[in-house]
Amino acid sequence: MANDEIPPGWDYNPASWSQRMPIIVLAIIGFLIAAYLSLYQFGILSAVWEPFFGNGSITILNSPISHALPIPDAALGAFGYLVDAVAGAVGGTKRWKTMPWIVVFFGIAIGPLGFVSVMLVVFQPVLFDAWCTLCLVTAVISVVMIGPSMDEVLASMQYLKRIKQSGKSLWRGFWGYKDVIDKVN
Amino acid sequence: MLLGLWLMFAPDLLDFSKKISNNAHIVGPLIATFAIIAIWECTRNVRLFNLPLAAWLFIAPWILQYDNNVALLSDYAVAILVVLLLFVKPKRQHRFGGGWPAIWKSKTPHSREAGNAARL
Repeated sequence: MANDEIPPGWDYNPASWSQRMPIIVLAIIGFLIAAYLSLYQFGILSAVWEPFFGNGSITILNSPISHALPIPDAALGAFGYLVDAVAGAVGGTKRWKTMPWIVVFFGIAIGPLGFVSVMLVVFQPVLFDAWCTLCLVTAVISVVMIGPSMDEVLASMQYLKRIKQSGKSLWRGFWGYKDVIDKVN
Repeated sequence: MLLGLWLMFAPDLLDFSKKISNNAHIVGPLIATFAIIAIWECTRNVRLFNLPLAAWLFIAPWILQYDNNVALLSDYAVAILVVLLLFVKPKRQHRFGGGWPAIWKSKTPHSREAGNAARL
């Protein structure tokens, strides 16, 4: 029953595929772009597509910050998007209740990715006086993903709150043990 | 959202000094980010994070001592529009079981309806 999947007090199911699919698609697009940029940073590609800002992409992708960590930042970004896509895809349409851990993990994975991208967008002009088109595109993607993914996190958090109110084990509910699922709505 | 983008790119288009453009380059993306997140009903209130940012745009010209009137007017225009747009409240279309405060409050719509369902 589809009705049964809607969280109490809600009028739609935030974990339905129509809600989650756009986020997964965005994450995959983000992954592909970031993977492409990291191929350049690893030296596998010798040039990178940059329609607007001349040498901007080259400046940014070779900047000290992009190589501050042992792995180039685009590769880390690609990994982040991949985690988002997988965490967005795992679980059925009632996962706000049956698997709160994956929903919360998904929310935590989406948040920092957006935060780091915005930080990198700030660094581009301030520190290096340059812009990188594809880096901006990935940043926009990661920010756009935050809003639509948070409703599911909210539904899971409200469910965890109800578990606490009912006196059941929050820990067991978080990991989706059946005894809790059956007793708490 | 567009206002944040304007802040981001205005310095390059209008040729501001480095200090002023740095300010715009930091505040602009932040305003745009919060505005994008606030597009979705569930995270609508994230738009309120833009209030302190708009306030900062009002006082920034004094603190950073802007030497450029175009930049000052541009910042003020953005700040005013951001504040005005904060008051635009689209109709609520969905119910969220009491929203984010319902995580720490008791007696919320979601717990009430969950209780009713159990009795049926």
